Amino acid sequence: MQQQELETYSTIEDSEPIDERQRVDTMTINMGPQHPSTHGVLRLILTIEGETVVKAVPDIGFLHTGIEKTAESKSYHQALVLTDRMDYLAPLCNNLGYSLAVEKLLGIEDEINDKIKYARVLLTELQRIASHLVWLGTHALDLGAQSVFLYCFRERELILDVFEYVSGVRMMTSYICPGGLQADLPPGFDQKVRAFTDIFPARLQEYHDLLTNNQLWLERTKGIAVLDAQDAIAYGASGPVLRGSGVAWDTRKAFPYSGYEQFDFDIPVGSNGDVYDRYLVRMLEMEQSLNIVNQALEGMPTGRYRVANPKIAPPPKWQLTGSMEALIHHFKLYTEGYRPPKGEVFVRTESPKGELGFYIVSDGSARPYRMHVRAPSFANLEALPLMVEGRFLSDVVAAIGSIDIVLGEVDR
Amino acid sequence: MTITPLTTVETIREKFPQAVVETTDFRDEQTIVLKPEALVPVCAYLQKRLQYNFLSTITAVDWLERVPRYDVVYQLLSLPNQSVLRLKIRVGEKGEEHPSVLTVTGIWPAANWYEREVYDLFGITFEGHPDLRRILMPMDWTTHPLRKDYPLSGFDLPEPHWGGQIPYDVDPGVGSQTLRTPEGRELNESRSKLNREQEPGTPRQ
Repeated sequence: MQQQELETYSTIEDSEPIDERQRVDTMTINMGPQHPSTHGVLRLILTIEGETVVKAVPDIGFLHTGIEKTAESKSYHQALVLTDRMDYLAPLCNNLGYSLAVEKLLGIEDEINDKIKYARVLLTELQRIASHLVWLGTHALDLGAQSVFLYCFRERELILDVFEYVSGVRMMTSYICPGGLQADLPPGFDQKVRAFTDIFPARLQEYHDLLTNNQLWLERTKGIAVLDAQDAIAYGASGPVLRGSGVAWDTRKAFPYSGYEQFDFDIPVGSNGDVYDRYLVRMLEMEQSLNIVNQALEGMPTGRYRVANPKIAPPPKWQLTGSMEALIHHFKLYTEGYRPPKGEVFVRTESPKGELGFYIVSDGSARPYRMHVRAPSFANLEALPLMVEGRFLSDVVAAIGSIDIVLGEVDR
Repeated sequence: MTITPLTTVETIREKFPQAVVETTDFRDEQTIVLKPEALVPVCAYLQKRLQYNFLSTITAVDWLERVPRYDVVYQLLSLPNQSVLRLKIRVGEKGEEHPSVLTVTGIWPAANWYEREVYDLFGITFEGHPDLRRILMPMDWTTHPLRKDYPLSGFDLPEPHWGGQIPYDVDPGVGSQTLRTPEGRELNESRSKLNREQEPGTPRQ
């Protein structure tokens, strides 16, 4: 009976004449900006032929907040808080990039001691894990694995607890600032971090158990949205997208900043450049970051948390009542700020999304003449059409998830 | 021979003696200032021979008083040699509204969006660019906000001041000129015409 039905069905289909016009008919559909799987306000204009994407045109700018313009009217210290709002899933990494650029402009890189460097590395690596956790949760949610989302946010909360403990704020911390840190690491900080690092390896294994060998996950990600190494480089893709394509490039290794040369870690590299490889690269990166966090915690030196230079770092509060000079420095710093010499610097750092660059031009005044941000998500998104054109519509969701964009950074 | 920023500067000086305006070294970062017409040959040489295969970013700087007015800045990176370089050209003669630069999209495809961004925010056009549209600002925007003569708070918005979106009770197909809120207040008045005491968006007293 069933066999018969099948046969009838197939004969009907075969007997129907194929309409040649329908075959080339394409349809243009709009995806986003209000779409949960575009991770923010990304709009894609997709031309589809049946289920296949023929053309994909990203439309960005819905979250354009003019951060580069605003920074020109702020002092160097004030512009720091703007950087938090770009990649809002990794504000500390943005703080670090900006601080390094300003320090280079001021020429005070040598004054930054190991304590500051270690604390910065520790916090940004925690931030990298937190950012990857949000990516993993939302990416898995997009592809239908809902429980991973809840687990990831559970672990991320522990990291945000650490940030709240050191800075008082969960997300927009502005904790890393030009000249050091905003405040000293509080007593009991290492226990807070240990609370996370002790449980995280087991939790990471849990995610691996849920996804890495899951047949459904493999079918949604293996061989999907492939970006080969040559295209990845040509389109300026960086971070896990570039490494997923098999290019072993990490700014932390190539141009070590903030003392990364003192830490021992590997760069996970993929081979096929598909969604699965990008997934695996980030999963392994979390392991490496955890490794760095442990090293930094064990080797944390003692010392000042800010440079001693009173022209750049404000004096401690208790000095203000007793020292005339401290009062003057404090007043000058908060009314005017500091004046770096004329010049320009471009500092590259490795944010969770890729190569984050700060280009700051100084005209000798107390405000940056121009601040440009090389946002990794911006370049990674530019390569998206290469990944999705010729693939199924449902793969677009997987591709967007796998490049891990943050629109606050794309649009700035 | 290993390629470092310093050897790159030397090589470019030798190969293109006419093209280099000046080179600077600030905080160990090498910058080559090029003549605008030499940009494409030098970039092609850097990409093909000196392995500068990664274009980090393109941006511009507006020096309002200076002639030529703009710097267009290219940040290059060589993955095989771990070497970085900054190229710069100066464009924008006096009174030139939209200075033109040759595109480098043929050399680094990544330049596509960066050049669109520079066009959008500075009004510098890129000759030969495959798709020069605005990228961050709305498509019907008429000005270029990162120019130094653009006030931080923006200009008075052009009519209609909500940027052409169809509000409230208007039939989108008609394109009616008298747009009203549900309370009946006319919407197509510019902010400059409003009473000075009146807060924009509140009913008239």
